[in-house]
Amino acid sequence: MGKIRVEGLQKSFGSNHVLKGIDIEVKEGEVVCVIGPSGSGKSTFLRCINRLDDITAGKVIIDDQDINNSKTDINKVRENIGMVFQHFNLFPHFSVLKNIMFAPMELGKQTEEQARKTALKLLDQVGLSDKADAFPNKLSGGQKQRVAIARALAMNPDIMLFDEPTSALDPEMVGEVLGVMNDLAREGMTMMIVTHEMGFAREVADRVIFMDGGYIVEEGPPEDVFGSPKNERTISFLEKVL
Amino acid sequence: MGFNAAVQALEAHQVDGVIAGMSITDERKQTFDFSDSYYDSGVVMGVRDDQTMVKEYADLKGKKVAVKTGTEGYTFAQSIASKYGFTIVPFDESSQMYDDVKTGNSIACFDDFPVLSYGQKMKSGVKVVTKMEKGGSYGFAVSKGQNKELLEKFNTGLANIKANGEYKRIIDNYTATQGQAPQSRLEIIKDALPSLFKGLGNTLIYTIASLFFAFILGLIFGFMKVSQNKWLRGIATVFVDLFRGIPLIVLAFFIYFGIPQAFGFTMPLFLAAILTLSLNAGAYVTEIIRGGIQSIDRGQMEAARSLGLPYRKAMIKIIIPQAIRIMIPSFINQLVITLKDTSILSAIGLVELTQSGKIVIARTFTSFDIWLVVAIIYLVVITILTKISGRLERKVHHG
Repeated sequence: MGKIRVEGLQKSFGSNHVLKGIDIEVKEGEVVCVIGPSGSGKSTFLRCINRLDDITAGKVIIDDQDINNSKTDINKVRENIGMVFQHFNLFPHFSVLKNIMFAPMELGKQTEEQARKTALKLLDQVGLSDKADAFPNKLSGGQKQRVAIARALAMNPDIMLFDEPTSALDPEMVGEVLGVMNDLAREGMTMMIVTHEMGFAREVADRVIFMDGGYIVEEGPPEDVFGSPKNERTISFLEKVL
Repeated sequence: MGFNAAVQALEAHQVDGVIAGMSITDERKQTFDFSDSYYDSGVVMGVRDDQTMVKEYADLKGKKVAVKTGTEGYTFAQSIASKYGFTIVPFDESSQMYDDVKTGNSIACFDDFPVLSYGQKMKSGVKVVTKMEKGGSYGFAVSKGQNKELLEKFNTGLANIKANGEYKRIIDNYTATQGQAPQSRLEIIKDALPSLFKGLGNTLIYTIASLFFAFILGLIFGFMKVSQNKWLRGIATVFVDLFRGIPLIVLAFFIYFGIPQAFGFTMPLFLAAILTLSLNAGAYVTEIIRGGIQSIDRGQMEAARSLGLPYRKAMIKIIIPQAIRIMIPSFINQLVITLKDTSILSAIGLVELTQSGKIVIARTFTSFDIWLVVAIIYLVVITILTKISGRLERKVHHG
C-alpha cells in the first residue's frame, strides 16, 4: 500500500491548465525526485500533495485518507507532511530556536521543555547548534534552508516535500543543504523532491519522475532515466541540463 | 457654530432654540415659532477703517462684497447686487467677513447694525458707513409648535429686564460708540489661553475616542477584506469606499443635521462628532490593516499552514505580529490626520481647539494672533505625539 497515492490529478488556475492528469504511488521510505523544465507543473504537483493548492480533479490519498474530502482534517494531515520551500519562509520575528519549537508547542504536541530539546537536537543534526539564538536575517541562505528543514522535522513527519530547496542558494551553499537531505534519505524518510540538481537526483533518488506540459512523461530508477531515457522530450531536456 | 449651521441645527431639532440675531420673517415663521422681538435691527454696510472712497452702495460697482450666509445682510446684498453691480462673497462668521474686508479682498460687508457696531467698538478694523436699512426685529426661535413653554419663559424674562433697566445697559454696552480701553495683544492671548486649552482637551478626547472606535471598525473590516469569502470582502469594500469617498464635513452635516431631521430625533453632538470621525478614520484604518496583512509574503502563511497550523492561529501568531510592524507608521499618520480633522467638526459646533479660536476671534477680532497661537498648539501637540509614537515604533522593532 502506498504512502502517497495520486490518481488522475488535474489542476487549473483559471484557464491555465497546469496539471492534466497525474497518477503516481510513492511507497514508504521511497525517495522520489521530480525533474523537468520550468512551467512543467512540478511545484504545483508538490503543493497539491499537502493541499497548499486545491486540486481541480482527481484524488490525493495520504495514508489511505483522501485529503480533499471535506471530512478530512487537513491540519492533521499536514502535521505529518513536512515541507521545505525554495525561499525558506522562516518566521523573521522568531529566533532560530523559536522557529523550530513554534509548531510543536503551538499545536500542543510537545511541552516547551520537550520542544527545546527536540529543536536543539535537530539543530545539531543540521550542524547549526551555534545559531540557536540568532534571528533568520543573520543567517546565510544555506543556513536558512537547514533551519527550515529542522523546523519541518520538528513535527516528526512521515513525509517530507522539498520544493526546489537549493534553487535560491548561492552555488557554494548547495552542498550543505543536499548533505542534510541525503542524511534524511538514508534514515528512511519518505521524500518527494522537486529539484534541478541532477547529480543529487541520480545519487539519492529511488525513482526519478520527468514532468513536462502537465504530464509525467517518463519515470523510473535514476540510472534508467538518466542513463537511457526513452522519451524524446526527456532526452532533449537532459541534453540541455547535463 | 456659524449662524447658518445654527439654523440647520434647529431645523433638525438638534437644539431647542436659537438666539443669534435671527430676524423674524414670514418665511422663517413657516418653520419656527418666535418670541417677542428683543431688538429692532437693520442691515448696515461696513468698510475698512481707513477706507474713505466707499460711502454708499453706488461706490460698490465692480467690487466684491462679503456677507454671512443665511443672514438678513445676505438677502439684502442679493437684492441690490445687480442694481449696483457688485459680486457677493459668502462667509460663515462675522469675523471672517471682517478679515476679508481688512485684507482688501472684499471692499465692504453687510451685517446687522449691532454686530458691526460692537465690532467697531472692539477695534475689529471695520467701520459702519451707512444708515441702518429698515430691517427685521430679532426674535428667539424655537421649533414650530413644540416649545410654547420655553417661549413664554423667554418673553417673561425679556419683559423683566426691559422693566428693570438691565436691557438698556446691555444694549448700550454693545452699541455705544465709546467703550472701555482695549486690551493689549498679549493680554488678549493670555485671556484666550484657558479656553484654547480647554478646546485642546476636547480635541484630544475626541481624537482618542474616535481612533479607538476606528480601530475596532478597521479590525473588523480589515479582516473581512482579506477573507476568502467574497461577500465579506464586498461588504468591507463598500464600507471603505463609502466613508473614504465622502468629505468629512459632508459626513458631519449628514449625521448631525440630515439624519435627525429625516427621522425626527435628537442626536447628541458628541455622538455625531465621534461617529463622523470614527467612520471616516475607520475606513482608512481598514485599508492600513488590509495593506499590512497583504504586504506579508504569502510564503509565511504557507509555511505556517504546512506545519499543520489552522488559518486563525497562523494569522494571529505569524502574520499579524509581522504586519503590525509595517502598519505602525501608517497608524501614526492616521493619528495626526484624525487629530487635525477634529477641527472640521467645528462646523457643527464642537468646541474643540479650532472652534475655541473662532469664538475668541469673534469677540476680539485678533485673527493673526489667535490663529498663530492655535497653529502653534496643534504643531506642538502633534510633534510630541509623533515623537512618542516614533519611540514606540523603535521599541517594537527591536523586540
